[in-house]
Amino acid sequence: MDNESWACASVEKDLTRVVTKLEQLHENASADIGDIATLMSELVKVLGKAEQAVTTLNSSTQVNATPASVDDPMGDGVSMQVETEPTAPQRLTERQMEIIRDAIVKCNDRVQKLSTDHRDLHGSISKIGKAIDRNFSADFTSTMRVDVLQNEENLMLLNKAIAKHYCRQGMDEVARTLIRECKMPENHAQDVFDSEREFAAIYSMWVKIQKRDLTDALKWAKIYSQQLSDRHSLIEFRLHRMRFMQLVSYGLDSQREAICYARMNFKKFAVRYEHEIANLMASFIYLPSGLENSPYKHFLGQEMWTELSFIFLKDACQLLGISKNSALSVVVNAGCTALPALLNIKQVMQSRQVLSMWNGCDELPIEIDLQPEFRFHSIFACPILRQQTSEDNPPKKLTCGHVISNDALHKLSNGHILKCPYCPVEQNAEEAVRIYF
Amino acid sequence: MSEIKALEHATLKVPYEMLNKRFRSAQKIIDREVDQVTNVSRQVEKALECEGPILSDVTKLMGNVAQKLQVLKRKAEESINDELSVTQICKRKLEHLKGITPPNSVTGDLWQGSVDQWKRIRLDRLVIEHLLRMGYYETAEELAARSDVRHLTNLDIFQTSREVEDDLASHSTTKCVLWCIDNKSKLRKINSTIEFSLRVQEFIELVRQNQRFEAVKHSRRYFPAYEKTQLNEICHVMALLAYPSDAEAEHYRKYMDPQRWQQLVLDFRHENYRLFQLSSTSVFSAAVQAGLSALKTPHCYAQTCRNLNCPVCQEDLNRIALKLPYSHCVQSRLICRVTGLPLNEHNQPMMLPNGQIFGQMALPDITKDDGTVTCPVTNTKFSNPKIEKVFVM
Repeated sequence: MDNESWACASVEKDLTRVVTKLEQLHENASADIGDIATLMSELVKVLGKAEQAVTTLNSSTQVNATPASVDDPMGDGVSMQVETEPTAPQRLTERQMEIIRDAIVKCNDRVQKLSTDHRDLHGSISKIGKAIDRNFSADFTSTMRVDVLQNEENLMLLNKAIAKHYCRQGMDEVARTLIRECKMPENHAQDVFDSEREFAAIYSMWVKIQKRDLTDALKWAKIYSQQLSDRHSLIEFRLHRMRFMQLVSYGLDSQREAICYARMNFKKFAVRYEHEIANLMASFIYLPSGLENSPYKHFLGQEMWTELSFIFLKDACQLLGISKNSALSVVVNAGCTALPALLNIKQVMQSRQVLSMWNGCDELPIEIDLQPEFRFHSIFACPILRQQTSEDNPPKKLTCGHVISNDALHKLSNGHILKCPYCPVEQNAEEAVRIYF
Repeated sequence: MSEIKALEHATLKVPYEMLNKRFRSAQKIIDREVDQVTNVSRQVEKALECEGPILSDVTKLMGNVAQKLQVLKRKAEESINDELSVTQICKRKLEHLKGITPPNSVTGDLWQGSVDQWKRIRLDRLVIEHLLRMGYYETAEELAARSDVRHLTNLDIFQTSREVEDDLASHSTTKCVLWCIDNKSKLRKINSTIEFSLRVQEFIELVRQNQRFEAVKHSRRYFPAYEKTQLNEICHVMALLAYPSDAEAEHYRKYMDPQRWQQLVLDFRHENYRLFQLSSTSVFSAAVQAGLSALKTPHCYAQTCRNLNCPVCQEDLNRIALKLPYSHCVQSRLICRVTGLPLNEHNQPMMLPNGQIFGQMALPDITKDDGTVTCPVTNTKFSNPKIEKVFVM
């Protein structure tokens, strides 16, 4: 964690430095260049005025042929020149030239400075790039042995998974645009909407349960009642129980309704949930004083509803054969956990020059530490051989209850006699049983 | 290595390259304007150097200086503002990346919720990048708008490439040539031959239209620059002039194939990635493959052991994962197939007479009140069976 914030922070530091410098440069450009630009315009104005004065003078001398006495803004020099050379073009005085020279020098300095200052930023900017390269890894592709996503057919299957993922979240338009843009075959496209339609229905019931509305969910459970009980799902009873308690919680007024409800709906659960039903019916005792002060008060909390909604989601998805997280999100999140680990091991293997081992086997080189919710299958690794078991080398239970792989069993046994590696029991190796996780 | 450090290089590198590019073009603009100013100011100096400079001339020249300075000021401000706006993009992305590390004040569930949210956004970002790379621009735009993550994606750089690609797809090189000019120095640095390929294609099109004289002119104008590196290819292409337009020769057909345009689109895409230092595959596809591998077990390919929640057990992903390596496991991790709960000291693994193992907590679920136990995998019924504890090390 620290590592991560440190990586971001170091890039941010360089970035902030550049921003500050840019802002400063922006200010300077406005101020300095603006300054000199104003100075120049002022000078132009003054010079222009001087010129104008002289032109007026010249024209007046030519037309009227009378000596003029004009107010001279540029000082004596100008008028002197005018007087000596009335028809010749106006010349600059030494002082004027000096002022102009100064201004030009200043102007050149300033613009050059702007250019250099800006160029100097280059160092700071490339520092950002270096900080990024130093702190972030550019090459994650090396973790892939084969790139199966170069294959057109697989890419289309992936598009389908993406479309399904967004369909699930109610973004049908996104899915539709994708289907159109990637020219997904008709049968695939149909499948996208079909497979997710079921989930969408369940999803809306799930939302409703959390809002304490059981109507749709109960209807659904009634339809699938038989399948649910075949699967030992508790959800139908749980839903009825919740509805019953909801009626009870309305108080004495709905007492009758609650009793009717119990008679109507609890009958088929009578055998299996006898005890529980008795328990529920006893809640009437507490009705006059209110359920809040009774042992049943936990039925009123939102947690019960949330829990119920999640059980519903799980059981319903299981029954319909759909998964409750989108496959894409599970895969990508697992991949994001796996990639850094794979990059690390790759670097280690590279430095030890055992990279060839990477390509040799059809298993990842290390175990990826996924969250428990991302574990979907049991894997038994033989504690003796440190290998995953397989069809060829299945797990076997010894008579003492310990489990080892078939290969390990053969290696450890002496004739028929096997001593369990974990306990003192000696047994007949033939008596070990193949087990299934 | 953390997820951010391993996966987010491109997220930051792309805006950085944009900043770098803006910086270069800003420098170019400023230098050009500075040159303009110094040019006119030099004229003023020259005018002052002559014997008795004429007032009106100098005034005019000074007017030029003032005007050029104004232009410089305006352009400098604009360019620097451009640079600043790119730094904002960098900043926003950094802020988002920092979102995965918890601030000290937040803990527990609240924190988990925000991580989930962060991961959801990340998935959207990754999908968008993948869509862009595949050329599904509309979907990418729509998704970015719907999930409000546009500011965290590289949609902008792909927007330009989309225009170029569309142009190429309609058999025109104009936009791509402009793009080449725009990124000339960078392309030279990465030794790109994309511009040469474009020129070759232009030549081919001229030959196709039987404007052979024009074609020769074209070749004289553009090919010499590539003489050193591409002489062989140039000779091959020039040979086209010798064939009649309906020639069946393999050599001729190879060059006249309209498929070459498609190849140009792909080449361009590839060069564009290199320009921004994007790797040729997306993080998304790497993550999908690593994820599939991490989840893939032999069970996923055994008919009886499939788990509906497991992505690799689903038909489509199952096919994609076929050639990917399996996950690796040195420590047993067992999950009850009824409850989905892990098997451990709190949920002891129990064996039915048929060798099937389930968690202790699943037993009430599969046991009827009369003591009959139904194995959920094989559907075999056992009345009052002997259920044995199993020890897994």
